[in-house]
Amino acid sequence: MNLRYMAKELYYQRRRTLMSILGLSIGIALLIVLNSLSLAYRQAAQVPLKEIGADITVQRSGDVPKDLAGAVFPCSAVTIRKEEVEKIRKLPGVRGIGTGLLLWVFDPNRAWIVLGIEKENSIGPSLLRSSVTEGRFLEDGKPEAIVEQAYARQFGIKLNDTISVADDKFPVVGIIDASRAAKIAVANVYLPLKEAEDLAASSKGLQSVSPYAPGDVNLLFIKADQEKITGLASEMKTILGNKATVATPDSFLKLLGSLFALSDKFTLAASLIAIIVAVLIAFKTMAGNIAERAREIGVLKAVGWTNRNVVSQLMSESVIQCFMAGILGLLIALVASFGLSFMKVNIPIPWEMSPNPHFLPGGGDQIFKTLRLPVHVPWNLAFFAILLSIIIGGMTGGLLGRHISKIKPSEVLRHD
Amino acid sequence: MTKSTILSGTDLSKKYGDLEVVKGVSLAVNESEFVCLVGKSGCGKTTLLSLLSGLEKPTKGRVNLDGREITTSSEDELALFRRDNVGFIFQSFNLIPTLSAWENVALPLFPIKMTSEERRKRATELLGKMELGHRIEHLPSTLSGGEKQRVAIARALINNPKIIFADEPTGNLDSSTGEAIMGILNKLHKEEGVAILMVTHEDELAKTANRLIRMKDGEIMS
Repeated sequence: MNLRYMAKELYYQRRRTLMSILGLSIGIALLIVLNSLSLAYRQAAQVPLKEIGADITVQRSGDVPKDLAGAVFPCSAVTIRKEEVEKIRKLPGVRGIGTGLLLWVFDPNRAWIVLGIEKENSIGPSLLRSSVTEGRFLEDGKPEAIVEQAYARQFGIKLNDTISVADDKFPVVGIIDASRAAKIAVANVYLPLKEAEDLAASSKGLQSVSPYAPGDVNLLFIKADQEKITGLASEMKTILGNKATVATPDSFLKLLGSLFALSDKFTLAASLIAIIVAVLIAFKTMAGNIAERAREIGVLKAVGWTNRNVVSQLMSESVIQCFMAGILGLLIALVASFGLSFMKVNIPIPWEMSPNPHFLPGGGDQIFKTLRLPVHVPWNLAFFAILLSIIIGGMTGGLLGRHISKIKPSEVLRHD
Repeated sequence: MTKSTILSGTDLSKKYGDLEVVKGVSLAVNESEFVCLVGKSGCGKTTLLSLLSGLEKPTKGRVNLDGREITTSSEDELALFRRDNVGFIFQSFNLIPTLSAWENVALPLFPIKMTSEERRKRATELLGKMELGHRIEHLPSTLSGGEKQRVAIARALINNPKIIFADEPTGNLDSSTGEAIMGILNKLHKEEGVAILMVTHEDELAKTANRLIRMKDGEIMS
């Protein structure tokens, strides 16, 4: 391989070189963008759960409350027994569990969505601690409440007021802005889990629909090993029965409905097509290039170049061209990804996971989590694309070089 | 002083399908001898040159070049043998268009491990001998026909060959440039002692050679 010869060949035949680089770079850029988009949709699908520090949420559907009076369970979230929670906790791959108790409380003059939360847990709605705008977060062993900001404004509730929820009195110790937080596991009023348990246990209406004992919950937030999420989801369904609603990043991905979100197979097929297109472009342009140089190859062989010398020369030219195409493709993909990162995506929250009573005005409206699509090119994808370019270059140059090196110099030089 | 044979072909035949282009030809070229193969277009002289230089293998017969039987050698062995022992000059120069004059001259040295400076030095020396010292960095497209052929002659000499095969080296040149090229070849054979086997269809040019071999229909006539 002679670097001077290679550099001059690429420079003086720059139109041909440029066409070849451009063609292949488009294929490489396509490959990177497709995979980056697919990854972005996957990451977007994780956001609703990540916002509450979980990888999986679990609840169980039940019967509709008979009387809408006092504290009741939403029909999409009825009792999950303490023993069932323990079984889930022991599943291999479960790294931690957060719990919650979601209640609809129908008082004579007002309806509340009440969420009983653990005060200290990095998994689940206790993450809302960071969303307190006034006052403080809940403290241990105190019957107190924090109220969602918009709800407080609507009903004139202020810090240090005392609110009455299902005839129990709670001082308001904090105001919370949940609008910036998760779209799931949000409520009008947040109580310590113990207080919510007491409300649920003492509610006859609730007990008649879904028997409840303190220690039971109706929302589970689970942190799990990423590679075990799918398997865990099906095991949890086995434990909780077929009425269980198990939400995972994959289930949100399916709700997104995009082709990129629908399946890995689409991304794989599209990537394969992009690679095949890239290989064909590289092969076609280089085949044309090498065919044009048959006479030159004949001269090289006549003056003493071996087949191996010829192949390594052509291969080095091809590898360098494809490497440059890989770099250009990566740059194109980076620019395209930057542009695509301004795209917004609406992730629908399933109605079962919406805390709002669907029979109240606006309660049945579809809730979306809207966010910018987090498109970026991961370094390992960039590295793979560059490596692939070099491999394409090596293979193309090698195959075509081997083919052309078999020509007999006398055949191409005889017609002088 | 008796000169030894540097090149000999014995009973050489070459067939392309049913067409026999070279028919049982035997010939020998001695060291420092200038031999011209003359004949009309299509008589088989270029094919015979290809057989004798190892660019092509005969259907029948043997070629011995500088004491080595080359008809049984592999393609790569032949390439290496040509690189070390043989020079070629073609009718249409066959210079690489993207390489400068000195790089074209150094082309046979590219696969050999040596520094670029060494290659350049050797090529520049030869171009100087061809009175092209001022054109070493020029691309072939900027050279005249005569200059291109002188670059090609320098390339043929870069490996200090014992024999040069020249296929119609003046075919693409006007008569005065052609004469100048013949002058260089004559000088090479006389001063450097390089054997030359040249193919031409011009009797006038052939007269400058030590020996003239006429071909007709694939056979040697005289």
